[in-house]
Amino acid sequence: MLAKGLRRTAALLTSRALGRRQLSARIVDESYVEVQPAKGSGAAALKFPAVWLRDNCRCPSCFHSSSQSRQLDWNHFDPNVRPLALHMDAGKQQLHVRWSDEHESSYALDWLQRRSFDGRSQSKYLSEFYRPRTKHWAGAEFERIAQRFNYDQVMSEDEPLQQWLQALAVYGVALLNGAPPDKAVVRRLAERVGFIRRTTYGEEFIVQAKPGAKNYAYLSLPLPLHTDLPYYEYKPSVNILHCLVQTQSPGGSNLLVDAFHIADRLRQEHPADFERLTNTLVDWNDIGSEDGQEFHNIWRAPVICLDSAGEYTRINHSVPQRDSHFNVPLEQVLPWYRSYARFVQLARDDAYSFKTQPGDVLTFNNIRLLHGRTGYDDTEQNSRYIVGAYLDWDIIYSRLRVLKKRLTSSSNTSSSSSSSSSSSSSSSS
Amino acid sequence: MLTSNSSSYSNRNSNCSSTSSSSGFSSSCVQVSRDVQQQLVLLRLQPDSSGLQFPEIWLRDNCQCSTCYMQQTRSRLPQGWNYLDPSVRLQQLSWCAERQSLQISWSDGHKSSFALSWLKERDFSPANRARYLRDCYRPEQRLWSGTEFQRIQREFLYDELLHNDEALLQWLHQLAVYGLALVKQAPLDSNVLRNLCNRVGFMRSTTYGDEWSVKAQPGASNYAYLAAPLPLHTDMPYFEYKPSITLLHTLQQSDSPGGWNLLSDAFHVADLLRQRYPGAFKVLSETPVDWADIGSEKNLRFHNIWRAPVINLDANGRYVRINLSIPQRDSHFSVPAEQVRPWYEAMALFMRLANEQACTFKTTPGDVLTFDNVRMVHGRTGYDDTEQNIRHIVGAFLDWDIAYSRWRVLKNDLGHYNK
Repeated sequence: MLAKGLRRTAALLTSRALGRRQLSARIVDESYVEVQPAKGSGAAALKFPAVWLRDNCRCPSCFHSSSQSRQLDWNHFDPNVRPLALHMDAGKQQLHVRWSDEHESSYALDWLQRRSFDGRSQSKYLSEFYRPRTKHWAGAEFERIAQRFNYDQVMSEDEPLQQWLQALAVYGVALLNGAPPDKAVVRRLAERVGFIRRTTYGEEFIVQAKPGAKNYAYLSLPLPLHTDLPYYEYKPSVNILHCLVQTQSPGGSNLLVDAFHIADRLRQEHPADFERLTNTLVDWNDIGSEDGQEFHNIWRAPVICLDSAGEYTRINHSVPQRDSHFNVPLEQVLPWYRSYARFVQLARDDAYSFKTQPGDVLTFNNIRLLHGRTGYDDTEQNSRYIVGAYLDWDIIYSRLRVLKKRLTSSSNTSSSSSSSSSSSSSSSS
Repeated sequence: MLTSNSSSYSNRNSNCSSTSSSSGFSSSCVQVSRDVQQQLVLLRLQPDSSGLQFPEIWLRDNCQCSTCYMQQTRSRLPQGWNYLDPSVRLQQLSWCAERQSLQISWSDGHKSSFALSWLKERDFSPANRARYLRDCYRPEQRLWSGTEFQRIQREFLYDELLHNDEALLQWLHQLAVYGLALVKQAPLDSNVLRNLCNRVGFMRSTTYGDEWSVKAQPGASNYAYLAAPLPLHTDMPYFEYKPSITLLHTLQQSDSPGGWNLLSDAFHVADLLRQRYPGAFKVLSETPVDWADIGSEKNLRFHNIWRAPVINLDANGRYVRINLSIPQRDSHFSVPAEQVRPWYEAMALFMRLANEQACTFKTTPGDVLTFDNVRMVHGRTGYDDTEQNIRHIVGAFLDWDIAYSRWRVLKNDLGHYNK
């Protein structure tokens, strides 16, 4: 779907927005370069800040192509550099600029088009290529939004892999089925994307009832809704949980909640609670040892974390891993508890419950979703066994971008009107 | 009804089997009272002291009994919290002198007991909270200018870091406070960085693997792998989860005049910018920049992007992270066109100040340079390899989550907490 979208953009670019021969460019206020489309094309002019053009000169002394890196000497970069003259080469589809620092630069028009400063193209680039826009959901919508993929297909084909990662990015949850009963499944999946994110608890972890466990999750008791490892500044992003053996007892169900949806509801219905949960720093902690290595993790952050634009960046919630140290002024404590109890209640009421089966791999965004499970009883013949691992969003988004580019370029090659073939034919004419 | 200043529970030791008298203050006598209006419990250790204060709801939440708290996992048992009633109230309060503990009965029928030492550690007074954050959470950072380098610089011996916990703690502390520490006399073998990282916890893996080699490679896919001068930068600004601490082990240094290390405390540079050019400071702390790295490593193709300002502040205006890398700044710049030029002007000022503030030195083989990659900007001057002399540095990363955890464990084990 995206591949088609990009192809359409490329086609528009060559045929309409930058229709050849009648193109022109002009300097505006000494500080912008405006590229005008052919008359009658209906496309808007593209306006580029001159200093940005100079900074992004593509010549070999300014740009190192094998590392795809800027290399111009920034220790002596003059932000007051001005364009002196422009030349539009319609045949080559290139813009040439002569600068006040005596440098000369050339830019391919399609390269410029992809970097347009127009607000709509920027937001398209950000939501289609940088990070897909998230869609929040209520528990009752789970069956509609939860996509299922076949493990073997994800492992062997790029398109299902991309769809899985895209679903994970947009909805924060996706399921794979048909995985073999093999402890190496989570590693193979993680390496299909990139690599496992290691934590204090190692790379893969096994969730199995262990009576003397040092971590609360390793008990067969009910595990109320929580996010994993809120006590890390760099919290692991995505949880991969492979069910090898499910309990035959009535318990062991998974609970999932989109905490961004809960935050949306708080924001609308209880704005004061929302405010408090975004402002009050909570001490999240984990003290213990794993494989003989002691740890004492602490991270102070609100339950609902926002960026400067007010967008959610992260949810922290874990009753066992909230420290008894609470470093806020006295008078903030009781109001915070009231707001937090509201959050927990809304989340609890919204939780969707289901039970994974052997061969299922549940993957979800640990930055955004709360998860839990109901209590269960192991028997000698039936001992619930889950293998888990984490992946980081940095690595997943990188993979998703590479896949999008690859699938786009392969569909372009197979199409007769790719932008590269039409521009090369125009330069020879 | 109790009044807000009531100390009517102060003499009730009845729940405790102690027979000691509670008349007057002695070293073992603690006066407990309630502030009903604000729902606080007050503990007075000395008649003239200001005392310790605790919110009732927090006490209920942190009940240490075995149905509320699991000693084995050192964590709150979560079941009750799904139904926690924030209107739960304190009904009875008393002090047990014999056990030195606070006894409480609650409106939900529960009873709790809190040891004095446990309470003291968690007192809500501003002074105690500041102490805890400084001594236990993260030490206060001290910012420095390039001219102070000799004064703040500290050296550690590799062997001591491997075998002496006190040295290990001092190294981590130095890194946390000043963002820079030099490890000397490491062997010239390939296990050095792994050994150091394992002493702390474990290495942070990135797209470039666990460890990476910085050696001039003409067709390199990463700009650092060239012999050209490498201007001041932070490593991997294109990750949301940027690696925290960079470790650089010098195996072979260049005999040419180049290959010098440059380092600048970018939090200090940000301070200078804030003072001298507040407009530029605002621009650099508010304009998101597209940081990117496109390439491949061992068959894994990557396209990393992270959008964030150069100077990243928390809600209180404190520095949380610096992003800077000329080669790894994307040509995509996803901001309105009119914000572009002011950003460039501010950036040029920041670069100038960072260069002015940089200290320079040249590591020698066996040195491991370690610094806070979230805070410091580093670079190197260009150099020339010869057939006999090929500069070779190996690098790895550690994360602050792991390093601070180790710092806390060591402080505790070595008895460094001033309570």
